[in-house]
Amino acid sequence: MLAAALLLPSLLPGGAAPPAGAVELKAPRVEYRVNEASATRSPWIDSNGWRILRAPGQKFVYKVNGQSAALAGAEAFTYGAGALISTDGPGEIAFGRMLEFLKSVPAEDLTPVADFGVIEDGTDVTGELLNLLTRMNLLYRIEKNPDRGFAVNVRLGTPSYPADEAKNPSFVAHKIRSQIGDDNRSLRIYGSEVVIGRLLKGDHQARVFLVNYANQPVLGLRVRVRGNYSKAELRAGVTAEQPTDFAHDETATEFSIPQLGAFAVIDLSRN
Amino acid sequence: MDRRAFLQLAAAPALLADDAPPSYKVVSSYSAVKSPEMPAPYRGVVARVHSDAVIDAANERIDQAVVDRMLSSGIKALTGAKADKDAWAAFFSPGDVVGIKVNCSGAPAIRASPEVIKAITQNLVGVGVKAENIYIYERFLDQLTSVHYERFVPQGVHIVAVETPRGSLMGYDPKTYVEVSFFGEDDTRSNMARLVTERLTKIINVPNVKEHQASGVTGCLKNLAYGDFSNVARSHMRTKTNTLSFIGTLAAVEPLRSKCMLNIMDGICGVWHGGPFSEEKRYRFYPKLMMLGTDPVAIDRLLLDLIEDKRKAEGAPSLWDRSTDKLDPRAHLDFHKNTFIREPGHIEYAATKFGLGEYDRNRIKLHSVEV
Repeated sequence: MLAAALLLPSLLPGGAAPPAGAVELKAPRVEYRVNEASATRSPWIDSNGWRILRAPGQKFVYKVNGQSAALAGAEAFTYGAGALISTDGPGEIAFGRMLEFLKSVPAEDLTPVADFGVIEDGTDVTGELLNLLTRMNLLYRIEKNPDRGFAVNVRLGTPSYPADEAKNPSFVAHKIRSQIGDDNRSLRIYGSEVVIGRLLKGDHQARVFLVNYANQPVLGLRVRVRGNYSKAELRAGVTAEQPTDFAHDETATEFSIPQLGAFAVIDLSRN
Repeated sequence: MDRRAFLQLAAAPALLADDAPPSYKVVSSYSAVKSPEMPAPYRGVVARVHSDAVIDAANERIDQAVVDRMLSSGIKALTGAKADKDAWAAFFSPGDVVGIKVNCSGAPAIRASPEVIKAITQNLVGVGVKAENIYIYERFLDQLTSVHYERFVPQGVHIVAVETPRGSLMGYDPKTYVEVSFFGEDDTRSNMARLVTERLTKIINVPNVKEHQASGVTGCLKNLAYGDFSNVARSHMRTKTNTLSFIGTLAAVEPLRSKCMLNIMDGICGVWHGGPFSEEKRYRFYPKLMMLGTDPVAIDRLLLDLIEDKRKAEGAPSLWDRSTDKLDPRAHLDFHKNTFIREPGHIEYAATKFGLGEYDRNRIKLHSVEV
C-alpha cells in the first residue's frame, strides 16, 4: 500500500557518514552517447528504481550535487525508499524545493501495478533484466514464486527463458514485452525516451509518477493508463502544466503533459 | 560484462529481424471529407512543364517570371482550363484554409523554391483565398526559417513549423496516429499534425526532385507521409528501412488523404545522390521542370525514372540495387555506396495496397509543356 510506501527522502547532514549498511545508488541521469555504436538509439538512463524494488527495507544513500539532488529525491519517493541524500549547497536548495513538493502529495490507499512477475534469484543477470524492464516502462513485480494472477512469470534459466538467452537481457526484455502485448500494458509513455513512470491503483483511482531523467524539461508527453478514469489532476513542483487532450473509454485513459520538469504526480479518478 | 556490452550482443533486433511486413494500427476518427479523394480527379495524369530559362545553374538564381509561366502552363494543362483563375478555382474556393506542405529537409541548398511558393500563394489569393488562411508548413522550424519564405509571399500568410521545439508532441493530434513497432522502440506512435486535422481544409503538396538514401526517391508520397507525422525516423535502423510500407500507410490516413488536393513537384533543382539532404553540391542537378497532378503515385513514378536515368548517366548504382557490399554509413559522400538498402518499391506499394494512384507507366497520361 502506498500509505506505507510514501516515505520521504531526507538530507544527510554535511560531513556525516551514511549509516552502516546503506547502499550507495548511482546519480540518476541520462547519458547521451551519440558516437557509440549500440543496439538502440535510445539514450542511456542511470536509474535506481529496480535496485530499490529489489531490496525493500534497505537503506540507500545518494551522493549527488546540484539539481541531481532533487531528481534523486523524486526517484526515491517514487519507489518508496526513505533514502538519504548527500549533496552540496546548490543541491540542498534543489532538494529542499523537491521535498516541499513531496510533502504536499497526499497519502492514498494505493497498490503498485504490475503486468507480470519476475522471480528473484539474486543474480546479476536478473538485476540487469530488471534494470532494462524499468527503463522500458514494463511494470513488474518481484516474486519469490510464480504468481498465478499473471499470464507471464519470468524465471531466468528455465525452458521459457533459457540461460543462454538470458545472457542478453535486452532480448529477454523485448520478448517479455511481446508476450504481454503493448495494448495490454498498464502504462505507456509516448514522446520521450528519458521519462520513467510508475503506476499505483486503488478501487476508484490511480496515481502516475513520472520521473524525467534529463536535465531539462520534456516538452510534450503522452501517457496512456489502462482503466477508465474521468478526471486527471497533475501535482508538480515546478515546470509542469496541467494535462491536456484528456480522453478515456472503457479500456484506457490518455492525456498529454505539455511540459514536464524533473518530476510530476498525476492523480486519476473516476468522478 | 557491463550492461553496455550486454546490449551489443545483437540484442533485441534479432528477435524482430524477420522480413514480415510490420503490423500497422491506424487510429483516426476522420473519414473522407469530400469525394473524389486522392488520387482523383485526375488519376494517372501528370502535367510536366520544362523551361531551360528557369534557373541559372552557375549561381542557382531562379527567374520568377519563368516560374510564373511554368505554373500557369502546368495548371492549365492539368485541368484543361483556359484561364489560370478557372484552373485554380477547380480546386480552391474563398472559404478554404489552405496548407502548402513544403519540403525543407535539404534546406537551404535544396527546398521548395520560394519563387514557386510565391506563385502558388498568388494564385490562391487570386481565387479569393485570404492570405491569413494560407499556411506554409514543415515539421522543423530551423529548416523552414532558413528559406525565408516571408520575403516572397503576401503579407498575412502563415509560415509555421509543426514540431516546435523539435521533439515536442504538442503540435500533433493525439487522437490521429499510426501505431507500429519496427525495431522494438519505446514510442510506437506516429501522430498526424494538428494543423492538418484541426485547421486546414485543403493541402497543396510541394516536394522536390530528390534521391533518398532510404526510400529511393523522396517525392509526393514521402513529403506527405513523413512530413505530416511525428516520430518517423524510427523506421530506419542500421541498413534496414521500413519505408516500403510505412510511406503509403501514412499517406493514406484520413484526413490527410482527402485534404491533399494538388501536388506540385518542384524539379527546378534536384539531388541525385545523398538525399534527402544536399551536403555535396556535386550531387545536385538541374532538371528545370515542374510536375503537377492530383495523383502522387503517377508523379513519383516519373520521378523514379528521372533519378534513375540521372544516376545511370553518372555511373551510380541503380536505386533498385539491393547488394549489401555497398552499404556505408557515410555513403552520402560517395555515390557508389548507400546507407540503407533503398526501398523505391514504396511507390508501387502505395498504389496497389492503398489505391493512391497509377503506377503503370503505360497508363500514365503525360502532358508535356515547354516554356
